[in-house]
Amino acid sequence: MSEANGNDDRKKHRVHFDRHTPEYRHEFEEITHELQAKCPIAWTDTHGGHWVASGNREVFELARSAEFLSNDHDVKGERRGYKGITIPTPPRAAEAQGGFLEMDPPAQRHYRQALNPYLSPAAVARWVPFVDEVVRACLDEKIEEGRIDFVDDLANIVPAVLTLAMMGIPLKDWTVYNEPAHASVYTPPDSPDMPRVAELSRNMGISLYMALQEIRRSPRPGLIDALVRAEIDGENPPDEELVGVLALLIGGGFDTTTALTAHALEWLSQNPTERDRLSRERSTLLDSATEEFLRFYAPAPGDGRTISADCEIAGQRFEEGERLWLSWAMANRDPSVFPDPDRVDLARKGNRHSSFGLGIHRCIGSNVARTVFKRMVTAVLDRMPDYRCDAEGTVHYETIGIIQGMRHLPATFTPGERLGPSLDETLQTLQRACDEQRLAEPVVRTARADTAR
Amino acid sequence: MKVRVDPERCQGHTLCWMTAPKSFQLDEVDGHSSAVSEDVPADQEEDVREAAHSCPERAIQIF
Repeated sequence: MSEANGNDDRKKHRVHFDRHTPEYRHEFEEITHELQAKCPIAWTDTHGGHWVASGNREVFELARSAEFLSNDHDVKGERRGYKGITIPTPPRAAEAQGGFLEMDPPAQRHYRQALNPYLSPAAVARWVPFVDEVVRACLDEKIEEGRIDFVDDLANIVPAVLTLAMMGIPLKDWTVYNEPAHASVYTPPDSPDMPRVAELSRNMGISLYMALQEIRRSPRPGLIDALVRAEIDGENPPDEELVGVLALLIGGGFDTTTALTAHALEWLSQNPTERDRLSRERSTLLDSATEEFLRFYAPAPGDGRTISADCEIAGQRFEEGERLWLSWAMANRDPSVFPDPDRVDLARKGNRHSSFGLGIHRCIGSNVARTVFKRMVTAVLDRMPDYRCDAEGTVHYETIGIIQGMRHLPATFTPGERLGPSLDETLQTLQRACDEQRLAEPVVRTARADTAR
Repeated sequence: MKVRVDPERCQGHTLCWMTAPKSFQLDEVDGHSSAVSEDVPADQEEDVREAAHSCPERAIQIF
């Protein structure tokens, strides 16, 4: 990182910051602490020029200043031409708004109000038996072999199947969405594989559009049903906008929980004493360990914003239209808030991490993510307690510019016995349960809760 | 000791409820938190302090 001279006094803290390079992943801790010590809000000329917030206090104050920040992705140039949450704007995403994460209130709030009853802790708790059954089947597929790839055979499948179930899409279609959901994140724009991945993504968009039409014709409960019936700013939005929302739910539901689970399982393999402790003391340690893995491995390392009015926040003056990167991952490593921030402490207290974002755009699927993560990890601890990850075969995402993820995490363990039917058969059984028991209905506030408020 | 969750600041991270489940309750529909009772029983004070310290939005006021 080199400081350059600039003639704008506001931009006196200039750095060269490019989170899309492999160096940013490899030197993450050094870069983070250098930024935090020298300039917790800095200007960088990379990717068209933007601010970078890395200090915990600065990220907190900025993220909560909704009146001066915009998430808007003005795809058609109807408003102020803002570019949404990705820096730089990727060419193919430039064509579509990323759901309500790339909107401002009140529309953003209306969407969240429509979807919250499917994603609250009370709503998600109803899915635990479903999740456990998918996890059981995934582990059964590999338990007799003594070999598993925790990404391909577990952490890709469970979040995908649950997300589709909650949306109201047939479970067997998880393979249609799985590859594009992950590959569109980890494939560099200049990769020779990119045209194929772009084609997969287009097909995913078409599948989502068709799912929307089908549920309009023959309603069945779930997030899609909520969207086709939603009133946003007094009207039901066009299908194009709803497909963007569905793609956001897929993107949020698939790759992030996979990334968190894979990193936690890798760390636990490298720290077997801590793994045994977590397994033994899970009744008191599982919640804090989950938050610590979230803090340390922040699956979505940050979000972009656009400054929507001239303002001064956290001692820095900003001008309307400037772009800003809020680094949740770097804020999570600030020693002023987290003692010994680069160490994983499964019992950490006061862990006010920002891995689900801060402010009005807090990850709407956070309760899903935590539940699925905990059920996967504890099942592995129970059924494959001596697993060892194979460092040679492990493939991390080359960069962490979008998601801090993993493509493969192979492991070996002492083989065990199957406990039930195959994954295919299990998904058929669970599909019938979804249809007959209408598992994807929203929760309704009970009278007790009304009076309590 | 008294506790209050600022409904304008709470975004439903649920950490308070994980830390002090006897003192905070979550709305069934949006998961946002509120205090079970403004008055904190003596045996809950430590957990409530810890919950306030854990809130990512700093939405919990102790007074």
